[in-house]
Amino acid sequence: MRCKQVRVLLSDDLEGALSPAMAESLRAHLSACADCRREWQLQRGIWRSLQRMPAPDAPADLHARIMTYVRGHQRARAQSLRGLLWRWVGAAVAAAALFLLGFFSARPGGVMADFKLFGSGKSSVEQDSRPVASGIRLEWRAVGGGERIPVLHAALNRQASAILAWSSEPGVPPRLAQRIWQGTLQPGKAVEIPLPLLLQQSSPRYAATLWWTVDDQHRAFFVPEGYPPMARANLRLRASLSEALAMLADAYQAPIEWLPATYSTNPTVVLDVHDATLEDALHQLLIGTGYIARQEHGHWRVLPR
Amino acid sequence: MNGLDRFELSDEWLIERFKEGDETAFDQLVRRYEQKVFQHAYRLTGNPDDAADVAAEAFLRMYTALRRFRGDAQLSTWLYRIVQNVYYDFYKREQRHQHLPLEISSEEGDELMELPIPDESADLDALLLERERQRVLREAIDKLPDYQRVVMILFHVEQLSYEEIATVTGLPLGTIKSRLNRARATLRELLEPYRELFEVGDSPTWSEPNDAVQTGQSSAE
Repeated sequence: MRCKQVRVLLSDDLEGALSPAMAESLRAHLSACADCRREWQLQRGIWRSLQRMPAPDAPADLHARIMTYVRGHQRARAQSLRGLLWRWVGAAVAAAALFLLGFFSARPGGVMADFKLFGSGKSSVEQDSRPVASGIRLEWRAVGGGERIPVLHAALNRQASAILAWSSEPGVPPRLAQRIWQGTLQPGKAVEIPLPLLLQQSSPRYAATLWWTVDDQHRAFFVPEGYPPMARANLRLRASLSEALAMLADAYQAPIEWLPATYSTNPTVVLDVHDATLEDALHQLLIGTGYIARQEHGHWRVLPR
Repeated sequence: MNGLDRFELSDEWLIERFKEGDETAFDQLVRRYEQKVFQHAYRLTGNPDDAADVAAEAFLRMYTALRRFRGDAQLSTWLYRIVQNVYYDFYKREQRHQHLPLEISSEEGDELMELPIPDESADLDALLLERERQRVLREAIDKLPDYQRVVMILFHVEQLSYEEIATVTGLPLGTIKSRLNRARATLRELLEPYRELFEVGDSPTWSEPNDAVQTGQSSAE
């Protein structure tokens, strides 16, 4: 065995993953070669130190801090839900409304989205497929056992590189959000990305944030957890624009799309409305921000003025 | 730590009770895992305040998601996953990890004094040496990219198996191994100037049979 080979095998040896014969010939080399022996000793020293890596005991008030934090968020959520006056539609009406949300068209950059109505041809796609944006939509797929997972369906009429990133916190900029998928979209060819993590890691405060980046242009989709949508709510908040939009998406259970002028244009906004529709709330929220809200193709988009 | 003794309620039972609306069951689960979650968060962040914040957010996410927990992974493995996600979400964003050069050292001495020392009967020199080793190691680990640090800590410090790490990170085994190898190579390079520290006191036991450092971990292949 040569030194070069030995260096490659050292960590397997420390892991106990070498076959007895390999381990034997490694040891034969180590007993003859002082350099490799030193290297082995160094690496083993590092491994052992890692195993002993200390961590202090948790602070005495950790339990109280955790429980206060959890209860505080639960209360905030309960209050925002209690503020809702009535439910707008029953499930049947919601399904019909969703059907209308199915089509999307060009975005300002001139990219044509091309996709079909949900449910077309695929029996596994459920009725409540949820459109989130131009060129992309979210569907809920049955995976057996009554379980369903969200799947993002994306298509474009030209070739472009695209990135999908996710965050449970709307304040995280796209480049730091957790990257879920990256690839090249081919004209007319749909891509489907399963998103089981939306189920595992939702935040009680906000709708989930999906960042969809095509050719370096970012857009955010705030995707609420459930249906049907709510018509009116009481809201009081002070937050960054992205956080406020994610809270609105959550409170009204309506997807909202945001096209930031640049990511840094995320101003702080305040809102204090009572018994307000989403439209009223958005208009109030956006005063003086340089953004406007427009209902396009059935969902709300927030765009630079 | 937090091992179940025979009089303790099982995680599964507590989770069921929580799903039925019993909030005290959640309280008990937090008590059972808070120490472990805090220490793992500390190892990732290297800072007790950040670790407490990560722990609080992790348990909030657990609270939200527990109703959907189906028990196909151990609760502890699932919690590692949540801690990892919280860590990525918050601490990458806030860039709290100031990457200090390895030479800067003495300022953190006070904090390290509070850390438990594994073997209290060892002599003072050995204690000081071990403290120095751990300080240098901590600084080197803080220099690893996040994705390497997470895998390295799960394998070497928390001593999870490859399969468990795959559950925690959602990564394929091959990716885990390659990240781990890269992390080891980087760490080894960073520690090269301190090699005497890691060789010291290490008698040449290299000829012992089966001297694998890891125990209780299954190999991926």
